[in-house]
This record gives sequence, C-alpha cells and structure tokens, in this order.
Amino acid sequence: MAADGTLVVAEARPAGHGRASTLQRFARRRSTIAFLMTLPLIAIIGGLVAYPAAYAMYLSTLNRRMTANIGLGNFEILLENDTFRAVIWQSCIFAIGAVVAKALIGFWLAHMLHAIPAKGQRKWRGMLLVPWVIPPALSTLGWWWMFDPSYSSINWILNIFAVPSVPWLGEPWWARISVIMVNVWYGSPFFMIMYLAALKSVPDQLYEAAAIDGATGWQGLRYVTLPMMQNIISITVLFSLIVTFANYDIVRVLTNGGPRDMTQVFASYAFQVGILSGNLPRGAAVSLFMFPVLAIFAYFILRGINRRNKEQM
Amino acid sequence: MSATAIPASYTGRKLGSLRSERRWALWVAYASLIIACIIFLAPPFYMLVTSLKSSAEISNLSGNPWLVKAPTLENYIELINNPLFRGFFWNSIIITVCVVIISMVVSVLAAFALARMKFWGSQMLATGVFLTYLVPDTLLFIPLYQIVGGLGLLNSIWGLVLIYPTLTVPFCTWIMIGYFASIPKELDEAALIDGANWMQMLTKIFIPVALPGIIAATIFAFTVSWAAFVYPTAFVTTPDQMPLTIGVVSQLIRGDTFAWGQIMAGALMAALPPVVVYAFLMDYYIAGLTAGATKG
Amino acid sequence: MPIQGLSRRNVLRSGAGVIAAGALSAPMVHAQGTGGSLRVAFWDHWVPTGNDAMRKLVKEWSEKNRVEVTLDFINTTGNQLQLAGAAQAQSKSGHDIISLAPWDVGSYASVLEPVDDVINRLIAKYGPISPVSEYLAKRDGAWRGVPAVSGSQNKPACVRYDLLQEHAGIDIRAMWPAEDKAGPGAETWTWDTFLMAAEKCQKAGVPFGLPMGAFTDAVDMIGALFASYGASMMDEKGKPTVRGNAKLRTAIEYAVKLSKFLPNDVWAWDDASNNRALISGKSALVFNPPSAWAVAKRDQPQVAEKCWTVPMPAGPEGRYLAYLPWTSGIWNFGRNKTTAKALLEHLSERPQAEALTSQTAGYDIPPFASMSDFKIWQTEGPPTGTVFNYPLKAHHNAKPSVAFSPAPGEFAAQMYVQALNTKVIARVAQGGDTMDQALGWLERELSTIVRGG
Repeated sequence: MAADGTLVVAEARPAGHGRASTLQRFARRRSTIAFLMTLPLIAIIGGLVAYPAAYAMYLSTLNRRMTANIGLGNFEILLENDTFRAVIWQSCIFAIGAVVAKALIGFWLAHMLHAIPAKGQRKWRGMLLVPWVIPPALSTLGWWWMFDPSYSSINWILNIFAVPSVPWLGEPWWARISVIMVNVWYGSPFFMIMYLAALKSVPDQLYEAAAIDGATGWQGLRYVTLPMMQNIISITVLFSLIVTFANYDIVRVLTNGGPRDMTQVFASYAFQVGILSGNLPRGAAVSLFMFPVLAIFAYFILRGINRRNKEQM
Repeated sequence: MSATAIPASYTGRKLGSLRSERRWALWVAYASLIIACIIFLAPPFYMLVTSLKSSAEISNLSGNPWLVKAPTLENYIELINNPLFRGFFWNSIIITVCVVIISMVVSVLAAFALARMKFWGSQMLATGVFLTYLVPDTLLFIPLYQIVGGLGLLNSIWGLVLIYPTLTVPFCTWIMIGYFASIPKELDEAALIDGANWMQMLTKIFIPVALPGIIAATIFAFTVSWAAFVYPTAFVTTPDQMPLTIGVVSQLIRGDTFAWGQIMAGALMAALPPVVVYAFLMDYYIAGLTAGATKG
Repeated sequence: MPIQGLSRRNVLRSGAGVIAAGALSAPMVHAQGTGGSLRVAFWDHWVPTGNDAMRKLVKEWSEKNRVEVTLDFINTTGNQLQLAGAAQAQSKSGHDIISLAPWDVGSYASVLEPVDDVINRLIAKYGPISPVSEYLAKRDGAWRGVPAVSGSQNKPACVRYDLLQEHAGIDIRAMWPAEDKAGPGAETWTWDTFLMAAEKCQKAGVPFGLPMGAFTDAVDMIGALFASYGASMMDEKGKPTVRGNAKLRTAIEYAVKLSKFLPNDVWAWDDASNNRALISGKSALVFNPPSAWAVAKRDQPQVAEKCWTVPMPAGPEGRYLAYLPWTSGIWNFGRNKTTAKALLEHLSERPQAEALTSQTAGYDIPPFASMSDFKIWQTEGPPTGTVFNYPLKAHHNAKPSVAFSPAPGEFAAQMYVQALNTKVIARVAQGGDTMDQALGWLERELSTIVRGG
C-alpha cells in the first residue's frame, strides 16, 4: 500500500506539460503543506512509538533502581534464567500453534462459506464473526468461567459422555492448549474473512476451466485456489504471527502465566517482572526480546507486499 | 494458469456424479458451518445464561449449567445502578470518541498528503507508518509507563486518549492511503484547474469519494480503542478512571466472592456496542479490512 | 492526574490558613469551614459490606473535622491496588493515603511519611503491635505506615467439620471449641495429622482445597507451613539460604507429599478457587479468612452451617498462622499529611476497629493482640462460634507469619509476586524435577532477583 501511494504520485508527474509554471508554484508550496499535514502523524509515531522504543533500549541497560547503567546485564541475567528461557519457547509454541490452527480453520470455513449459495452467506458470516467482535479481554472471562475447576461447564458436557474432567488451567499442557484454544476461537474469524475475500477475487473461469479439464475438487484447490491466494495467506499469517506473539489479554485473564509460569509469554512475563515486581528495566529487557522476531516477520511482510505491487505493475 | 497441468485421466466423468458431488459438498459445507457456529457461539451463550442466574443458582452444582431455571435480571439491574460501572461506560465513551476523532483527523490528513503530494521523505514515512502498525503495544508499555508517568497522566483517561492513537493511526492511515490512491488523478487535475486549493480538494473530492474507506477506518479506530486492554491495565489503577475492559476484569471480579452473574452481565454489556456497530456496518468494515490486505 | 491534583491544590489554597491549624487540633476548626481535603485509596473489601462500613466511619470523621475526603476502593484482583501504589510512587502524585500490600511498605519506604508519633500513641493505648506488622512497616528505624484493620486477614483453616469427622475421624470442634481454651487433642493438630486427614478426605472424594498457584492464599499458606518447619530461603541480609538447608528440604518434601492428596489442578487455583471448592461442597477444608464461609452463608447455607474455623496445624518449630497485613501509608509528596495521620489514627482505635470487624462478619484482623476479643467472633454464625478461632488467640500458642520473612523487603516483594515458594513445590510435585534440581532452580531465581539490585 505504501509503495502503491507513492508510485501513483510519481506517475502523475509527466502529465502536466502545458501548465508547468502553475504546477511548479504548487510544488513549492505543496511540500510545505504536505509536511504540515503529516506533522501530527509524525508527532505520534515519533513521540509515542519511536521515542519510547529507543527509551526502552536505554531503560533496559539500567539496574532496578535506575541508578546505574549495567549495560547488557539485564539481558544476560534473563538468558541465564530458566523461567525466561521457558518463556521464549512458550511464546513460540503459543504463536505458531495458534496461528497454524487459525489459518487452517479460517481457510476451511472460508471455503465452506464460499460453497453455499450467496444469499445465505451474509447471515452465516455474521454469526461466525461474533467471537472476533467481542473485546477479547471480556470474552476470555467467559472462557475462564467455563474452565473453572469446580464449576466447569465444559467438563459437565464431557462427563455426560463419560469422559473424565479435564484440569483445563491446572496442568501445564492443558493450560497451554486452553490458552491456544481461546486465541484460535477469537482469531479464526479474521482469517475466515480475509480468505473469503480472496476466494471471491479468484475468477470463476479458472475453476470452470479446471472442471472442464476434469480436475477434482482437491486439484482445483491445489492448482487454482492456493496459487491465487498465496499472497494473502502469507500476509495474513505473518501479520497474525506478530499479533499473536505479542498477545497479552488472554494469558492475563485466563492463567496469569500459571501454573508455575508454564503459560507465561513475553508480554505477560514483561508485565510481571517490570510492573508487578517493580523492576522496570528488566521488564523492558523482556519485551525487547520480542523485537528481533517481530522485525523478521515485518521484513517478510514488507517484501511480500512490495513484490506483489511489482507484479501488478 | 497451472490448472492446465492437471492430468487428463479424469475426463469423461458423468454429469450425474458431478451433481451428487456438489450436493454432497453442500452438505459438508452446512454441517461444518453449523458445528463452527455452535462452537463459536457457545461461550457468549454461556455468558448470557450465567448472567441471568442468581448467585445461589450459579453456586449450585446440581443441574445443567447451560440452562437457567429461574431467569433474573438482577445482575443487570445491579450493574446499571452501580455508579462505578456507569463510570466505566462513560470513561470508555469519552476515550473512544476522542480517540476516533483524533485518529481520523490525523490519518486522513496524513494519508492525503502521502497519497497525493510527494515530498522529501514521504516514501520513507509511508513505510514507517506501516512498520509502526506492526509494533505491538506489549513492546512499548513499559517505556510508555515511564513517559506517561513523567507527564503526570498515569491514572487518567487523558493519558489513554494520548496513547491510544498509536494503536489506531497507523492502520487508519494505511487504509486511507489505499482509498485515496485509487481515486483517479483526473479528478484532482480538474480541481486544480478550477483553482481549488489542497484543502478544498481534500474536503470536496477525496473525503466524499473515499467515504467507505473512512467508515471502515472509523470502525477500526472505534473497535481498537473500545477493546484496548494492555495500556489501561498498565496505566490506570483507580476505579473512577477505568474504561470498561479493565474495569470489568479488575473490579467486578471481587477477590474471592461469587459475582459470576455480574461479571458475565458486565462483560456482555461492555461487548454490546461493538456488536451493534458490526451488525449494521459489517460490510463496510470487512470491505475496508480486506481491501487493505488484498490490495497490499 | 493533573486535574485532580489541580483541584486539590485549589482547594488547599483557598483554605490554606486553616489546614495547619485544622490538622494540629482537628476538632477545633469546624467552624472555620474547610479543614482541607484528602484523597484516600483503601483496599476494596471482599466482604460486600466492608466498604460501606469504612465509608460510614470516614464520613463521620470527615464531618466532625470538616475535612473533605474522597474515598476510593481499589481491588487487589490482578494486583490493581499494588499497581496503583507503584504508579503513584513512580509519578509522585495520586492519593494522599493508600493501602499497601505487605511488602510494598518496605519497597516504597523512601517516599512514605514516617508515622512513629501515631504508632507510639496507639501502642501506649493498646499494647504491643503484631511483630509481623512491625517487621514489614518499620524501615530504617521509622514506621512507614499505620498497620491497617480493614483487609488485614489471617488464613486459618476453614473446615467442613462433618466431612472431617466422617472421613478422617477428627472431631475438630472438640479440639478447638468456641472458648478461650484448647480442647482435648488440640496438641495433635499437626501437619502430620493434617497429611493423614488430607489423604482420607481425598480418598472419600472431598479433597482439601489448598491452592498451590501464584496467588496470595497459596503463597501465604505455604509461607506459614515453611515457617513452622523453620524453613527460609533468604536471610535478612539478602543472601539466599537454599544450599544445604535441611529444614527447607523437609518442608518442601512435606508439601510435595501433601499435594498428592489435593485436586490435580491446584497449581492454577486463584484466591477464589478454594472458596468455590468449599462452597460447591466438593472440599472438606480450605485455608481462608471467613469470606468463603460468608459467601456460602448467602448462596449455599447448608454448606455454611457445617463450617468451623480452626488454627493452622503445628510443625516441628511451632504453630504459625498466615497473616496478610495491610498497611496504610501516607505519601511524603502528599499535601495534607498531618490530617492524613489524624484519620489513620482515628481508624486504628478500638471502637472503629471493632466497627469495621463487626461489619465484615469478623473478617478484619486488627494489628493489636489486645483486640482479638471482639464480640463478633463469638456471636457470628451459623454455626455460632464458627469464626471464634479466626483471630490469633493466646491459647492457640501460635505466632503470626508472613511468607519469605526475613528477606529484605525489596527482594521479598519480588519473591512474593513470583510465588517462589509454591513454584518450587510445583516443580517437584507436578514438573517431575528432583529435589536437587528444584532447589538449584530456586537458588538461580533468587540470585536473578538479587542481581542488578
């Protein structure tokens, strides 16, 4: 999108030959006006994103009382710490597990929605979007109550089918699964919507051509749908990886990191160390660990978008 | 396309089997959608059921938890009569309205400049906006805690009004650049010849034409600031300054007592505004979101 | 908070001349109009009537002294109150008086107003103050806060006496009757007996509901258990005392054995899970203040009338009772400190303390041993006398305990938030670590906390 906008401007240039002088005058004023118009944006990004990010780096080099600079000491201490090392890989399991599940479920549902007659789609789509519409901190409360050890309504259903009660939030692996489950529940509608839009943009002729060639449904999917959706899938997945990786609300409401820090992810651990235990510099160091991972994802997203724009040219 | 690469051995298939295959596919589709709907809607349904129970009924273990025997509105009434809860609602409304206005003004102006007026560093800035969108709030809350604290805005809704635009502005700008860029250049040239200045061009041509995009961006800003959780958790601790999300999570869960009916009622009421907005404006929002992503 | 700060300043300016006088001789100035204003943040009480009781007391005082008091109640769910304290200490603005969690008094000592004058007057009147409160609130030779009545709680055992009798054969009401003496067999109420009873109740399908997660009920209870085994992790100088600590090892071993007889998901229980376990009738014993019983009385009365509160079991080094004391601190950057002191002193006095405790079904525990005889604890029921043994009484022969003592406040606060005592147990019992691995982990965690000061 970014490249898109600026490219457009570049194209517009050679158009006005006859009115060169007027345009030149405009151009002189134009950059000033444009700068003024973007100033609030620059202020927000500069003052409340770039500066805090730089400040976080500075903060992470201080000691707990912020009286002395200890260089990379906080990072060193964290990397030597068992709990933090567990947090790193828990974050990865959480993000990757949730995103893969969301992508698969979203893809499946988008297909199913696409398969039914168009006039019923809106209704189904509306219902399936509900999880995504409710603020996650609030819907997670509902899940939390459904997982309650004494009063779990999910266990009640399981017990009907003679399945023993599950310690949803009590046993580390179940707790991890529960956290992922809630995230998948909340996030798959987003994937569904994205994929549905992409599916609708695939020309029907391609499927017809494939059908005439005798392609099965699976082959149509494999050789028509997937290639056409390749870009949107990769962008959605990468974007969701970032958001999921940095997720906080679900862990905060559901488990608060427990049992014994086995569901702690970067964000919740940063909160615990930085704000709850009053060690802001070390908390800043914890959240900075997210940065390289996010930067890699962002790089791939940008590259995908740029490549796509070039293809469209 | 690669469809041509399909081996030809499947030709000569009968039309009848194709039709039955289609019918079968339709059944599968409906079955999956029904199952998905049940799973997707179960938690909100259970929240609704719980919110209609008295605490005695909630704490009673015998009986089906998914049904309510003696429905009561007492949880809702109690919450509506609770000045604290009304305060949460009010705070959320003030914050959201301010943030939506700020985000829309900032992002429409900036998107217009970035989409139509080339200036030094504009491309870098456009990329920067996109990158900012990818910076999660959980990365920044600790330095912001210090910064907001330094400004004396901890425990104040105005601190949140100041901070939330970092969540909304980048994406709104991104959507708006896309919409503005898709407006044909002939329009601005015509306007320039007519002697319109940039501001007139924006208000008379761009904003009306890009209205669907503006609606989408507005809904996005609304949703994000209504649902924001990390910043209020970190920056607001006094109940009278809390917005709904953190208010419900931290104030209604009262230590070790049994307020589940109220918690669920509170969560449902807090979730209502976004749900209503979606019910009416879903198509705009989806169009805006998917346009942003599918057009790249 | 510039708006409130500003308005408060304006109020102060308008009545500036009066304040000093008003604070020094509070009752004298009411004819003069405003005696200043105070912003107070107290703990949001878990017993629904608690806040109203506090509101009433404060209102009476503020009307009498012509002080405008804004009263906020802040919840501890998700540590909101602790976060509020951190934010205010950080930004040097906010309330004038704030409730502080046990260890936070030490952490913020440098920005808290010393209150020795208040404490000395109170001690002169009511006798010695709880050693735990003194240990927590006294820093660098000065009291940094007034030990609070509201919210301060003991965590003795709340027992379903019928279930314990039926499945473990222990008549707990005979051991600990609602009288100022121990009954027959009270001396056998030890952690070993407790373990045996836990096993029997678990076999009978009503396991003890002891949380083992990262929340206060769990941390406090394990803290008292460790204390009764003489086990500690860090000394008062901030040096970890894990290596070669036989007492710590024994205590952890005991807790691991005990945890085998608990529900398998106690590792994630929060402060409400144990209450729910008791109220649902699924559990024969929890460690909790009377709020669990009080809620049961409202929602499941047939459960509540079978509950009986008794002291914690004793260990090799004596009997300890988990005490979670709140302290009301006065920020030294606040504006109206003398008036703030006057309010806190007023609330700590016996009539006010008794009013608070009575209004909260006996929940609040005053810091003075001389106040463990309020009438409410004898009369509350059904069953009558169920919370008689909730305050620490002389015949319990017990000492109050707070987890992680005697470690220095700033470290203990982090150990408390990270719940190191329950986690070390969980690593062995649930995570399958050997004792040495778990202790090694504990030592590394402690040194992580200490490093970078």
